[in-house]
Amino acid sequence: MILTFPGSLVDKPVVSRAIRLFGIEFNILRASVTPSEEGRILAIVSSGGEEGIEASLDYFRQAGVGVVLPVRNLVWNEDKCISCGACTGHCPSGALALDGGTAEVVFTAGKCIACELCIPACGYGAVESVEGLLDRTGGSRWPGR
Amino acid sequence: MARSIAEINDRIRRGKAVVVTAAEMKPIVAGKGAAAAARDVDVVTTGTFSPMCSSALLINLGHSTPRMKIRKAWLNGVPAHAGLAAVDLLLGATELHEEDPDNRVYPGAFRYGGGHVIEDLVRGRDVELRALGYGTDCYPRRELRTLVGLSDLNTASLLDPRNCCQNYNVAVNMGSRTIYTYMGVLRPGPGNANYCSAGGLSPLLNDPFYRTIGIGTRVFVGGAAGFVVGPGTQHSPCEPRTGKGVPTGGAGTLSLTADLRRMSPEFVRGVSVTGYGVSLALGIGIPIPILDEELAASTGVGEEEILAPVIDYSRDYPGNRAEPMCHVTYAQLRSGWIEVGGKRVRTAPLSSLSGAARVAAALRRMILEGSFELTNPVEKLPGAESGIEPRPLRIRL
Repeated sequence: MILTFPGSLVDKPVVSRAIRLFGIEFNILRASVTPSEEGRILAIVSSGGEEGIEASLDYFRQAGVGVVLPVRNLVWNEDKCISCGACTGHCPSGALALDGGTAEVVFTAGKCIACELCIPACGYGAVESVEGLLDRTGGSRWPGR
Repeated sequence: MARSIAEINDRIRRGKAVVVTAAEMKPIVAGKGAAAAARDVDVVTTGTFSPMCSSALLINLGHSTPRMKIRKAWLNGVPAHAGLAAVDLLLGATELHEEDPDNRVYPGAFRYGGGHVIEDLVRGRDVELRALGYGTDCYPRRELRTLVGLSDLNTASLLDPRNCCQNYNVAVNMGSRTIYTYMGVLRPGPGNANYCSAGGLSPLLNDPFYRTIGIGTRVFVGGAAGFVVGPGTQHSPCEPRTGKGVPTGGAGTLSLTADLRRMSPEFVRGVSVTGYGVSLALGIGIPIPILDEELAASTGVGEEEILAPVIDYSRDYPGNRAEPMCHVTYAQLRSGWIEVGGKRVRTAPLSSLSGAARVAAALRRMILEGSFELTNPVEKLPGAESGIEPRPLRIRL
């Protein structure tokens, strides 16, 4: 999972509290604090049981931490998708497809083969690589912040 | 039977008007015929939601103390045109961030530009304004750096020279390598075909001869009520048309304006087109008053009756000799597959159909609740009889 800490939480012991409260094991693969005083952690939660993990995710979200659960090496940012469908012409496995009824783009994580062909096809940052998200700064895509 | 726009507005005010989206109108016309549909329906709402490169934001900053005549300006690092009055700026949707590496590392990612600044402002975010001037007796200040948000600006108007193309190309790649175009990533083979129109929901395809959409028509732009300024750039009303009057190529375009402060981020999005540049995706909707049977018939046009030209973007489009390879219908495009030169090719849209449907539904709601009255155009757009045809540029040096 990828945790994004707003500036106001960077100096708070949010993760260690979650470990203590929910008994999860937490393996940090990468961590950074960007110039805008925003923190990001890429981590694998290796144990703690489904309940403990779910409870810790709720705890993070309630504390104001952004929680993203990547699928293989991909992050699906549903709120950024305008459902144009440009990605669907490139997805070889049908993981990204237009719903025949609503005409909305649906992402089926189980079908994703992580080929990443959708990333250059998407103009809205709705599909992103884990590296892309970790390097991104701020809510806006403005590189200056 | 015929009714006037004044009569329709009166019915809206009395809560008697029947307003349907263009998607809902197709089965009505197919089921009971155009004459009965014209009797029963007052207004058909259309919509489209896709990248519209020819868009710009005009802002007035208000004067600083001391005053400044801005010569150069940047909003979040994106250059804005300052060759207007002292503190008026024009920001183009496709303007790149000052330090964008463009296509030097091919294909460029184009992460941030004018379209994204416009989206950030609509989202209520502050943007950084940097400005330089040379100093005059009346405008002595030479430098400025501050934050501005939408509520700080005296004026924030989208001024779009060309939006809402009547119809559009289907792009394929007949070359031998993957290409990165404004019509998306195109694999050779052709490996895929991209199209960009709301098809049966598209505003100008529902009023193909511009009978009700004209200069001064009130339209929905990005969630706000705006207006048609005139024909858009490259307005080309004399394109070939089918028997029902539907053009089989780009054809008509609209120039629009609307107040950015009334827009919603749901319908205003910055776009990064890999290998091409940045743009702005906009939701635009236009109500079509059903004045008579002919308008009922034209709003009833089905996607199997609308043709789009298939164009090769590897050689023909860049070489400006865009003869269509063939034509396909929007019904075929929506099925996910078309045939090009005997090969089955997968299709994908660049224009959001669900977004277009949301625009048409939002416009329908605004009309029914009385916040969006229909207008008579002040003047007609140049039509199929005008002889207007955009010419290529003749290079004279």
